[in-house]
Amino acid sequence: MIRKPSYIYPLLKLTANNIRRHPVINLISISIIAVAMLLLSLYFLAYNNASRIVSAWRSDLRVIVYLDDDIAADRLAELKNYCRDLDEVVSLEYVSREQALENFRKTLDEDEDFLKDLPENPLPASLELVLDAEVSSLGDVEHLARQLERQVGVAEVVYGSRWLRHLFSLLRVVKYFGFLFAAFLSLMTVFIVASTIRLSLFSRREIIRVLHLVGASRWFVAMPYLLEGIFQGTLASLLALGLAYGGFLSFRDWLHAQVPQWPIAASLKFFSPVFIVVFLCLGTGLGIAGFLLSSRWNFRD
Amino acid sequence: MIRVFHLNKSYNYPDMVLKDVSFEVKRGEFVYLSGPSGAGKTTLFRLLFADLSPDSGQIVVNGIDVSRARVKSIARLRRRMGIVFQDYKLIPSYTVFDNVALALEVTGYPRSRIQKTVWKVLKTVGIERQINRFPPQLSGGEQQRVAIARALVNSPDLILADEPTGNLDYEIADEIMQIFNTINERGTTVVMVTHNRSLLQRFKKKVFYLDRGQLQAYVWPDAC
Repeated sequence: MIRKPSYIYPLLKLTANNIRRHPVINLISISIIAVAMLLLSLYFLAYNNASRIVSAWRSDLRVIVYLDDDIAADRLAELKNYCRDLDEVVSLEYVSREQALENFRKTLDEDEDFLKDLPENPLPASLELVLDAEVSSLGDVEHLARQLERQVGVAEVVYGSRWLRHLFSLLRVVKYFGFLFAAFLSLMTVFIVASTIRLSLFSRREIIRVLHLVGASRWFVAMPYLLEGIFQGTLASLLALGLAYGGFLSFRDWLHAQVPQWPIAASLKFFSPVFIVVFLCLGTGLGIAGFLLSSRWNFRD
Repeated sequence: MIRVFHLNKSYNYPDMVLKDVSFEVKRGEFVYLSGPSGAGKTTLFRLLFADLSPDSGQIVVNGIDVSRARVKSIARLRRRMGIVFQDYKLIPSYTVFDNVALALEVTGYPRSRIQKTVWKVLKTVGIERQINRFPPQLSGGEQQRVAIARALVNSPDLILADEPTGNLDYEIADEIMQIFNTINERGTTVVMVTHNRSLLQRFKKKVFYLDRGQLQAYVWPDAC
């Protein structure tokens, strides 16, 4: 009976021998890759959370239309109707001068006493417009604000998304920088794995020679080094993920302790399971790429 | 088993190491490749298992044109031959068992049968008691036995040996030669490189005598 050739055990044995015989090289390599992967994971963690939080803020788009103090009642009614008819506006709230003062007083809390000295109410009446985030881009909000500013009876239009626009621009820059950063780290990782394998190949050239002499095929000789690359990449990315998770938990606790009233700490999230799998695959892929690069230094007899 | 036609080889042209070498080794034969140092014996030996490529000419081993064989065919060819070296070429960090088993493992031999097969071949060469030792813990003769066991473990049709007794004393060399004789008697073709005339006299076989890269007509040891 012809049996199916069994290569798994000898290949795993050769791989384990390679790793066991060069613990220092492997340890250094795994550590350097882990640091590179950790930097990468911290970048993704910061970017993901920042863009999610900014997106959440963006969904709460408000435009405040401050009105002239002497605006007539019918003009106010016209303005309200005008605003309601705008596609971007979801809801509208009129805040009278008195209401504005009352709101301000509430925010001052213990310091409200100083308001008693004011000769008259300095706050203007306003219309608070809540916009539909789905239909209004930041550019739309700016356009809308300019349009409202031209209306009779409008003193000033304020929208918080102006600084959000800057934040988005900043995030976009961070994103492109991140791609370069990730590409650089990936390249570095590939070279580290390749160099480790090359060192391993050099120190094991006698064994490779013997393997060829006893009739090992080229893939049989090369496979343990591929497995070594996979091992290094996967273990390093697991290590990096573990460290990133520990760092993430510590940072979240620290942030919560610093600003307990601010819910941002609770809204921070670690990677999704899908991202974790992708990240591990990236580590494995980098290990394979390192092997492929080192295989240019060939496994021939 | 082996056919060599008009083989030429140089490392530094036009200084030819082998010049128009032709010979044939029949299946089941035991032949020596002999000659003085620098005659081209080891070069010819390495050409036989495609460790070197000839400049011109043809080498056919076991039906495979070694001089034009692809890497895959060379690996397949080497699995059907056993190669023994003067310096043994054992892996020092592997046990005797692992060194011998390696030749089976590269062929995908079932793991369950490796132990039994290795034990059997180690017993044949009389080294089974050292199965768990490492090569540096063995004497030269014992290491050569392990190397022979590794060459035999795949039941090859052909054994190539380069000065297998070169590092061994007289008595141990005779023991090793007895092992090669036994292997040959079981039907395996043996080609042995040696410059040791006393060995040729004690174990008389057909000799291909090389001198300055040229093969003399094959002779019997008495004529060397």
